[in-house]
Amino acid sequence: MASLTLDKVRKAFGPVEVLKEINLAIDDGEFLVLVGPSGCGKSTLLNLIAGLETATDGEIRIGDRVINDVHPKDRNIAMVFQSYALYPNMTVRKNITFGLEIRGVSNQERDKAVADVAKLLQIEALLDRKPSQLSGGQRQRVAMGRALVRDPDIFLFDEPLSNLDAKLRVDMRTEIKKLHQRLGSTIVYVTHDQIEAMTLASRIAVMKDGILQQFDTPQNIYERPNNMFVAGFIGSPSMNFIDATLTEEGGKLALTIPRDGNPIVLPLFEAPESYRGYIGKDVVFGIRPEALTHKRTGSDEPGSQYVNFDSKVEVIEPTGADTMTVIEIAGKEIVARVRPDRQPKPGESMTFSADMSQISLFDPDTELRI
Amino acid sequence: MADIQTYSHDAGWKNTVLRGLLYLILILFAAYYLFPLIVMISTSLKSLDEIREGSLISLPRVVTFDAWNYAWNEACVGVECTGIKIYFWNSVKMAIPAVLISTFLGAINGYALTKWRFKGANIVFALLLFGCFIPFQVVLLPMSQVLGKLGLASSTPGLVLVHVVYGLCFTTLFFRNYYVSIPDELVKAATIDGAGFFTIFWRIILPISTPIIVVSVIWQFTQIWNDFLFGASFASGANAPMTVALNNIVNTTTGVKQYNVDMAAALLTGLPTLLVYVLAGKYFVRGLTAGSVKG
Repeated sequence: MASLTLDKVRKAFGPVEVLKEINLAIDDGEFLVLVGPSGCGKSTLLNLIAGLETATDGEIRIGDRVINDVHPKDRNIAMVFQSYALYPNMTVRKNITFGLEIRGVSNQERDKAVADVAKLLQIEALLDRKPSQLSGGQRQRVAMGRALVRDPDIFLFDEPLSNLDAKLRVDMRTEIKKLHQRLGSTIVYVTHDQIEAMTLASRIAVMKDGILQQFDTPQNIYERPNNMFVAGFIGSPSMNFIDATLTEEGGKLALTIPRDGNPIVLPLFEAPESYRGYIGKDVVFGIRPEALTHKRTGSDEPGSQYVNFDSKVEVIEPTGADTMTVIEIAGKEIVARVRPDRQPKPGESMTFSADMSQISLFDPDTELRI
Repeated sequence: MADIQTYSHDAGWKNTVLRGLLYLILILFAAYYLFPLIVMISTSLKSLDEIREGSLISLPRVVTFDAWNYAWNEACVGVECTGIKIYFWNSVKMAIPAVLISTFLGAINGYALTKWRFKGANIVFALLLFGCFIPFQVVLLPMSQVLGKLGLASSTPGLVLVHVVYGLCFTTLFFRNYYVSIPDELVKAATIDGAGFFTIFWRIILPISTPIIVVSVIWQFTQIWNDFLFGASFASGANAPMTVALNNIVNTTTGVKQYNVDMAAALLTGLPTLLVYVLAGKYFVRGLTAGSVKG
């Protein structure tokens, strides 16, 4: 087990730069999730750590050791692939011990190691089967077994759950988390699924177009996204973006959202210093659906963090626990999360509460957080 | 609905007629193609007298394997009357190493071209592909010069070399196309497990290549066994392969033309390729259509 540092890592394929100056550092035992849309460079980054590709520039360190020029087999890493990449001609047992065999580990040690791992992953009964005789979930376990048996410094997971059906994916996610808690190993995990990222990570690195957008704990990324991309990518349903103007009345800052003859004015609950420069200017007001609800009790009292406004309901989408209510503000569809017992009818007008303590403001030009 | 039913009733009647016609045509074609073989077999089982008296298509009155025995043991190839058997072994000694070597090299080439892509891999592959379209006749002269310089002229090893070089393009094409469909992650996983180029090839890639190995072996064996031009050009006399010897038997006339012996020798020459198809034919079709390997 070890820490991992990426220092100004760049990767270019010919003239195409797929990774631009990535700086990341995680401590021993951390669970780092690289997340982003397809083509963002997250898998390339993982391949760089694995040694399957070489970095064009920069330094990759495991612990204190620079590993840029170290062969993959000498990096003491193990990797789980999206397609599992089990050797089709070998039994599960052979698949798991292949790496040990190549490294010249003795027969007895191999047998013991495979027994331990099989017990941990509950695949004892499958050891003498071929991969083609296994279900998707079982193959997934075997692929993890192959990584675990080596007891590596760092585990690398390349979208390991994306070939599983929805139910199994959730189960395996929990198991991976349990495994991490139990073994305390350092893990780098690539996914395009933001829910996987949120649930598993101790820290998330959000990537887009080869650029690291934000590197932080899941909660910070959720609550204080660096820019509109991160804000929109993390969270489901995604954050609402509303064009607004930052105004000042009597020393209090407020957001004014234009609406035919009847603009919505939302006084800010907190006004950080950084907002000052934007008074009188256009901003993008970001608010997550769960901060936009039916009218809350106490929202009429002075000093409340909630601000009420009325709007017509366009569509409702019940999910059971909550009802997603689509309203239209300034020509944009906005999703609010309403308790089922307060659920309106489409076409009705209803009072909504916006929790102004949970908002984000973005610069409309740079798309960065203000 | 009524319309459709009337239509389908009509169609049922038409279907039967069309189907009958189809079978008739198929049977005719099958007979057309099988007829020469039947004539060959029946002629090879007749005695010379019976051939002279009867007609070409009549079945043998007395079945005799004398002609087969004579073709195998005694027939004259030029001035040597040793039968076709020594040439059969010449062909075996040529075909088996040539098939094995060209298949093995094709497998390594295909593996390197797909799983260890290097700069210019596509150009190398394109050039190899180009080799498939070079006609035999074009390479005859340069090849004989090369064989002469290597000291392999008129020898079985020389023929093996020629067939390996010529077959490489095809076997590489087969294996390359097969390996393209094998996920790269398999090689990546083995690399991380610590295996190198040849370990991965022997332990992982080759064991899952059975279908394409069969295709390559059948293809190469048929090509090499049936080849006449290279055999006639680069190996002469006692080193000639069976196809060349067959030609010589048929062309060696000592008085009466022994049709039954000619037919028996021709059938003997064709038997090994037939055998390979019968034994491995189902893999051949499967291998040619196999698109992907299931994990």
